Amino acid sequence: MQTFLQYTILGLVVGGVYFIAASGLVVTYTTSGIFNFAQGAIAMLAAFTYWQVRWGWGWPAPLALLLVLGVLAPLLGAVLYQVIMKNLRGTSEVTKIIVPVGVMLGFLSLATWIWNPTPRTPRLFYKFFGANATVKIFDVRLTWHEIIAFFLAIVIAGGIAFLFRRTRSGVAMRAVVDDPDLLQLNGGRPERLATLSWAGGAFLAALAGILITPIQGTAMSANALTLLVIDAFAAAMFGRLKSLPRTFVGAIVLGLATNYVIAYFPANKWTWTGAFRSSIPMILLFVVLLVLPQDRLRGATVLRTRERFRMPSLRTAWIAGLVLVVVVWALRTIMATTAINTLAYGITLSIIALSLVLLTGYAGEINLAALSFGAIGTIIVFHYGISGTGNDARMTLWGILLAAVVCAVVGALVALPALRLRGLYLALATMAFGVFVSRMVLTEIGERELFGIKFSIFQGGSLTIPRPEIGPFDFKSNDSFLMLATVVFALMAVGLVSLRHSNYGRRLAAMKDSPAACATLGMSVVRLKLSVFMMSAAIAGVGGVLMSAQLGSVNLDRFDIFLSLVILLLTVVGGIGYASGALFSGVLFGCSILAIQNTLTKLGSDYKSLEAVFGFLVSAVSVMPATIGVTMGKNPSGAITDIVESLEGIKKSKPLMLTMIGLQVLIWALAWQGVINNWHFVIFTAANLLIVPPLGGAVLKNMALKKAGVEPPVPPELIGIDRPFTDDDRLAIEHALGLDAVPLPVSAPVHHQEEAAHAPA
Amino acid sequence: MPLLETVDVKVRFGGNVALDDVSISVEPASITGLIGPNGAGKTTLFNAITGLQSLSGGRVMLNGRDVTKLPPHKRARQGLARTFQRLELFTSLSVRDNVRVAGEIRNRWGLGGGRMDTNAEADRIIDLVGLRDVADREVGEIPTGQARVVELARALMIKPTLLLLDEPASGQTEDETEAFGHLLGRLAAEDGLGICLVEHDMALVMNVCETIHVLEFGRMIASGTADEVRNDPAVIDAYLGAPESVG
Repeated sequence: MQTFLQYTILGLVVGGVYFIAASGLVVTYTTSGIFNFAQGAIAMLAAFTYWQVRWGWGWPAPLALLLVLGVLAPLLGAVLYQVIMKNLRGTSEVTKIIVPVGVMLGFLSLATWIWNPTPRTPRLFYKFFGANATVKIFDVRLTWHEIIAFFLAIVIAGGIAFLFRRTRSGVAMRAVVDDPDLLQLNGGRPERLATLSWAGGAFLAALAGILITPIQGTAMSANALTLLVIDAFAAAMFGRLKSLPRTFVGAIVLGLATNYVIAYFPANKWTWTGAFRSSIPMILLFVVLLVLPQDRLRGATVLRTRERFRMPSLRTAWIAGLVLVVVVWALRTIMATTAINTLAYGITLSIIALSLVLLTGYAGEINLAALSFGAIGTIIVFHYGISGTGNDARMTLWGILLAAVVCAVVGALVALPALRLRGLYLALATMAFGVFVSRMVLTEIGERELFGIKFSIFQGGSLTIPRPEIGPFDFKSNDSFLMLATVVFALMAVGLVSLRHSNYGRRLAAMKDSPAACATLGMSVVRLKLSVFMMSAAIAGVGGVLMSAQLGSVNLDRFDIFLSLVILLLTVVGGIGYASGALFSGVLFGCSILAIQNTLTKLGSDYKSLEAVFGFLVSAVSVMPATIGVTMGKNPSGAITDIVESLEGIKKSKPLMLTMIGLQVLIWALAWQGVINNWHFVIFTAANLLIVPPLGGAVLKNMALKKAGVEPPVPPELIGIDRPFTDDDRLAIEHALGLDAVPLPVSAPVHHQEEAAHAPA
Repeated sequence: MPLLETVDVKVRFGGNVALDDVSISVEPASITGLIGPNGAGKTTLFNAITGLQSLSGGRVMLNGRDVTKLPPHKRARQGLARTFQRLELFTSLSVRDNVRVAGEIRNRWGLGGGRMDTNAEADRIIDLVGLRDVADREVGEIPTGQARVVELARALMIKPTLLLLDEPASGQTEDETEAFGHLLGRLAAEDGLGICLVEHDMALVMNVCETIHVLEFGRMIASGTADEVRNDPAVIDAYLGAPESVG
């Protein structure tokens, strides 16, 4: 009984804090229509800032609270909305998910930048009034901190309910999400209200962060704290992101459940207690998804999405694939072994990113845990896909195929509950799955026995995965594995493009553009979504298997959910509608960011006096993916679109293209012969790609014009001034105005023509 | 037997009654008009019939069968197709692919042997509705008037017996509307389609519709032939305002 009471009360306290965080989510979602994935990260930042002010600088608690909760947190929320989230109105659901995820990653890297993750003395975070300020209630000793936390939750629940129901601003806040334009017509100010609600949401997140950190008693780790409040997602889902009373119930249930697990499955008897406890919120999230009623089918959320992806033809895709293989082959000859390995790692990540191109770019659905499928694939291959031992161990083709099939099946199980619902719910389900895999599957490092069969899923916490051997080809060497990964990527990319041009691909595009129209044409949207999710999971699985084979041995850090998020973010930045966007993502993440950081670190150690500066730059680079991610609101089609557009000019001009290819071959040959080193190779290549097109374009254009004897076109306002007005000009103007062109009498004097041209204006 | 019958259909949004006991019917090979001021509930009724909006009461019958509990895609497979007032075109596809993909969706209904050659059928329908000139353009680039015709062509691809058109003529030029009226007449007369038309272009509605239902604030205030409806005092009130209330 004592145990029961103790853990019930503690459960209520933890549930109360979950509610505070979840209510912040509900408030921002109902007023801005954006699910704030960064909620946990805000809580984490607040906890760290509070620690800094309170114990780092020794301020008194009330002053520190006033600064963090009263000033900084609301300010952060308001700025977030004004600078970033505001721009998301009128973008697709995918962008609305990606940008807050980018913000979350940005805050995370910011925190590890400011607060060294491995401090010399551990950061101690005390409860309010200290751990000894306790009272006894029903024989249970409670700290004042815990009592305050629980009562704050109740006060906040009442306060928000009052605000929404009874005050003018509250009612207006609820109106914002329904129809901001209508509200504005009626004299409401939706922008101001949304800003206000984001300030409030950030305040609630910060409060939750400060309250929960000492209760959980964990060391202050940015990742762990961010994920802690992600648990509140489950509570918010329980309230369907709308109802605060139901959110409250969900939060309390969650708090009690996690504490009862600790109470009745003590860790000294049950080795899986810790993992199970931390997975409960995720399991609950799944259950909630299962019982949520079906959403209304949406039409296109926006009249004209700003994302535009022009599909390359199949022929273009084959050529691009071939060019990629040739380029990688040529690079391979001049690269050091470490560089080859880094590039191969990047390309295997690109294969994982391809799974996102299919799922998100083609079908408009989201998977936030691509790498977790890679983990499942890796586990399958480790157990069933390796022949030989020691140095002769090889991954078999059957192992890879089996991994793909298992990932597809697991994908189906993950996606099924969420398919009836909007894209946001599928995104959350995959996130829950990702955290579940990290906490429960990848922590299964010991041996277990079930029905007399002994097994260990993630043996020893680190799996050794050999390179594959397929038929007569052995891919053990670094060179050959790089080429294998490249060829697999190229083939899959071409396969995706041809899929997009098939009737299946058209149906995917239709589903992405308007689920409502598809349903009224008789399409079973759920079946199509399921099939594409399974296919995407299989690709992610294969990519993960190849990534593990490239690395040789993998531990759970390699499949971290945050890495999955970075890959997704970079793919969207590159252009989620294109296979090249996936390549951009994988190579940038796997190679460039690491390469830049390594270079900077090396420079730092070479020039001791500048170490601080280079250290700063290393951290700045780690924030980079998030920074470019949050700009997505302004350019949702991605970087590849811009690049392709800038390349259009080159494609039209054969001489220019040949010049560039010739120059590039020359640069490569020089590097191959060792005349120039690899640094110069990179610099010359960049110059060739960036400087030659505009320069050459201008030169060629002038040459072509001179040759044809045509003068450059005169801007319309200078016609009649720089050169005489002609009948052709009149026809052009009339055509532009949509008038039927009437040929004038041949003898018409010039000034009449001018009048004719002026008349319609 | 009517193709479509709504029986006392009720839809509420919170305390707001969007449709209150609305009963209409659509016969084969005929055009039925549905008119009423903005906000009368016309589009909501279409959503209720196609299953995009769940009912608070009443029934929807297709071919004498109660489909109230069926999801939208199963209703479509009973021969029901519609267009949208707020365009729901597939913006990443060309005009031709917008039409073609509807046929490809239909081919996967599980009808057994009845698969169509989607290329040939798309070409036939594009010619029928007069979209030949813009067939290869991106659907986002063409004018609204033509985009509405694309919606019609897409709906025709699934070979419906009942067609719901939500303001198909808005954004069309006068000539386009006239041609459109002829096309509707042909579809009803030659192919035997039952058509239900929501439209603000009164000339078009009065010309082509045999029966007209009038909605106001979610209630049906009149139904009958064009002449009956035109002279109905309740309808005149709804459109022009009652004499007493003026001033």
